[in-house]
Amino acid sequence: MRITRLAALVGLIVCTLGLAAAERPEPKTHTVTIEGLRFQPERLTVARGDTVVWVNKDLVPHTATSEDGVFDSKTIQPEKSWRFTAGKKGEFAYICTFHPTMTAMLQVE
Amino acid sequence: MKVSAIVLAAAGLLLLPVASVSAEGVNDAQIASIVVTANQVDIDAGRVAATRATSEEVKTFARLMVTDHTGVNKAATDLAAKLKVIPQNNPTSQSLKADGEKSLAHLKTLSGHEFDKAYIDREVAYHQQVIDALDKTLIPSATNEELKALLVKVRPAFVAHLEHAKRLQATTSQKG
Repeated sequence: MRITRLAALVGLIVCTLGLAAAERPEPKTHTVTIEGLRFQPERLTVARGDTVVWVNKDLVPHTATSEDGVFDSKTIQPEKSWRFTAGKKGEFAYICTFHPTMTAMLQVE
Repeated sequence: MKVSAIVLAAAGLLLLPVASVSAEGVNDAQIASIVVTANQVDIDAGRVAATRATSEEVKTFARLMVTDHTGVNKAATDLAAKLKVIPQNNPTSQSLKADGEKSLAHLKTLSGHEFDKAYIDREVAYHQQVIDALDKTLIPSATNEELKALLVKVRPAFVAHLEHAKRLQATTSQKG
């Protein structure tokens, strides 16, 4: 009787872990290309834990700076990149602080 | 009456820094010279404005012009070196340089809000005229594909600068 209970408990734990694993897939890496003074894509949806890489393909420096202060790349020189792992859910509007015409949105689910 | 004529003439001078970029039949070496000169003119104005401007926003914009146009010029001179093209002086680049110097000399006589306004007005006119020159003369005339691609690549920076300068123009004229 005890063994059965134990087996059931172990089964339950394995099952729960399995479900947890299914809910949290492997983190992905997404790329936002900065080119022609635009963030491409302008709107990106990622899962919590995913990494976003901003790659500056322009001839001039840029930043990727969220308006609410959640992330700020500081200066990304031409041909350089900056990585950010999304830890907080929400919609984050961001800009290039040098070029206020450059705006985009990162959504973390 | 005389004063207004002088003011109008001075405004005209500021608004026409690159009005003469319309020469047809420019070759790649001449285009390289026009691009480098046009950028250098704006770097020189930006250096002056970065220290002389009153508004912090205008100072920030001026520093951005120095950084961005230096970046564009580096790409242009690197490409010219790679293609073994020696930038060739021509009437358009000469008048760009002369007009840029005149405009800068006039800016240096101004101060305070008057300086900020004149500098931003100049930047709006300058970027609009460079975009027109890129579209009507420089991009269509470039024969080397890499040079043409570079001109296409730099165009959005001029468009963003123009938009940025127009926003500042709206705020600086409100302050005046």
